[in-house]
Amino acid sequence: MADNAVGLFHGPQSALTAAGQLKGAGFTALELMSPVPIEGVEEVLGEKKSVIKRFTFFGGIFGACFGFILAAGTSVLWQHPVGGRPIITLPPFFIITYEMAILFGILATVIGFFISARLPAMNERLYVPETAVDKFAVTVVCNNREDFERAAAILRKAGAEEVRAMTEAA
Amino acid sequence: MQAKGEPLQYADVNRDVIRSLVETGPRYYIALATAFGLTLACFFFPWFYQLYYGLGAAGMNHPGVWGTYLANFIFWIGLSHSGTLLSCVLHLTHSPWRKAMYRSAEAMTLFSLMVAATFVMVHVGRPWFVHWALPYSNQMELWPNFRSPLLFDVMAIATYLTGSSIFIYMGSIPDFAAARDRTAGWRRHMYVLLSMGWRGTDREWHRLGWAYTFLAVLIIPLAVSVHSIVSWDFAMSIVPALHQTIFAPYFVVGAIYSGTAGIVTVMFVLRKSMNFGQYITELHFDNLGKLLLALSLMWTYINMIELFTGWYSGTSTEYEALKFKLFGYYALLYWEMILFCAVAPLLLISSRFRTSFVPMLILSIAINIGMYTERFLIVGTSLSRQYLPDAWGLYVPSLVEISILVGSLAMFVTLFLVFVKIFPSVSIYEVKETMASPEKEAPEKGTDAWPTTQ
Repeated sequence: MADNAVGLFHGPQSALTAAGQLKGAGFTALELMSPVPIEGVEEVLGEKKSVIKRFTFFGGIFGACFGFILAAGTSVLWQHPVGGRPIITLPPFFIITYEMAILFGILATVIGFFISARLPAMNERLYVPETAVDKFAVTVVCNNREDFERAAAILRKAGAEEVRAMTEAA
Repeated sequence: MQAKGEPLQYADVNRDVIRSLVETGPRYYIALATAFGLTLACFFFPWFYQLYYGLGAAGMNHPGVWGTYLANFIFWIGLSHSGTLLSCVLHLTHSPWRKAMYRSAEAMTLFSLMVAATFVMVHVGRPWFVHWALPYSNQMELWPNFRSPLLFDVMAIATYLTGSSIFIYMGSIPDFAAARDRTAGWRRHMYVLLSMGWRGTDREWHRLGWAYTFLAVLIIPLAVSVHSIVSWDFAMSIVPALHQTIFAPYFVVGAIYSGTAGIVTVMFVLRKSMNFGQYITELHFDNLGKLLLALSLMWTYINMIELFTGWYSGTSTEYEALKFKLFGYYALLYWEMILFCAVAPLLLISSRFRTSFVPMLILSIAINIGMYTERFLIVGTSLSRQYLPDAWGLYVPSLVEISILVGSLAMFVTLFLVFVKIFPSVSIYEVKETMASPEKEAPEKGTDAWPTTQ
């Protein structure tokens, strides 16, 4: 029994059509692999939501607090009065706050990206090397032989150049 | 290579770009050995000499205590400015012509920043205490001054270096995966690690699109802040001719200007040496030329404002500084800068000039010579005419300083030569995006709708 049916397509439109038809036929575990981002994936496979924006936002907030506390906290703990000026001076400390907000925003965005894209991959996963060059693949998880046949038929009908049975390595 | 005249196919892009990584001719090794040798001989050797004999080996002395090292620092930071900033702006404005050139432009940013950072070490004299500049609290009784632009500098440049490295790496992950599939041996191991198991699934593309856009949005204000802060190092002092509010925009525009000229130089070299003629075309030079023209006009305007502010202030010290700048000891350098950065770029009005490769190369180098002169004039010569005439004096760089400047250029070239063999220097997947889809029945792809349509 094959775990996955993989259809290889020449272009993005037929791959998308195939993915839509598979979804209509009741297959849920669908994935597209492509050399470039495909437009219109969400219309076929449903809207995607990512947590990255939350990471960026809270990373930025954390960084801003960190920067301000670093500057203001240092000034308060080791006081160095200069001509009666305030110990916590907002304009220059704003710059430290601003830079740290951006630094932590960037770092959090990267962490968010890796978590939500499930990278780095710790074990071997299903992969079709042709998709890094010029092919578009639709992979669908099949539970039994009948499912595979059904999926393969849909893929071929949609214009797949080749349908492969692939097992995801453990 | 496909026959001439046939449109590029997706597979051609993979082949051409990965070929540039793995096929290395003797010319490359000669260039690398020369650049590396020059770095050792002209940068590291004089630096060690200076470390051994002390900062007296450099020509810095009272009153010219800011010498060419700081001018070099600002020059390299400025050169770094265009790469990532331009790439971010063009990404957000969906400009398709960005795609063939942004990777090298970003690499330029990264390496200029690294070279700039070494100048901090060279300038401080005792680089083993450089960690004293880091913004931690007062445990070591160093009294870090969070109100000083020098400390802002440390934070801004560290953030910019981190951000630019992450930006170039994130955009390269899909290309590392493509390279991973086509290479063998140690290269394959390296790309397996760098690509982190990228497979190009719909989920991965979606996440990359968003993360990349967020990074671009974060980096644009960062880049503007970095050079503004560098300008405050000078503008917040009370040195005549430096104490001006125009300095922040002046430095930012100057930085983007020299950085864009640097991109033109790098694009020319890449196009010639890597046979990327099909990817880096006249269109890129035309657009970069238009950008350079706009920037040169802005730069000229700000320069005029600077002179006007000095004159309009009506103070004797500003008058003296102005007179010294226009007609004094360094006046020849000033007029050379005006010729290279304000007059010569007017040639870019002609579209024939913009699309001719060799003239563009010559102009881009001339602009950067002019911009280096600008930094030297600001940093090296402004202390020559301050308030008290008995404290006036001239600064002339020593041989050690000149050698270290030449060595820093060689260091940049060395780093870049190593880069072009590790990073695909033209973005594989983004070039594919600008091409017609391989599917004939599919409508031709738009210019750059990713990722907003996802």
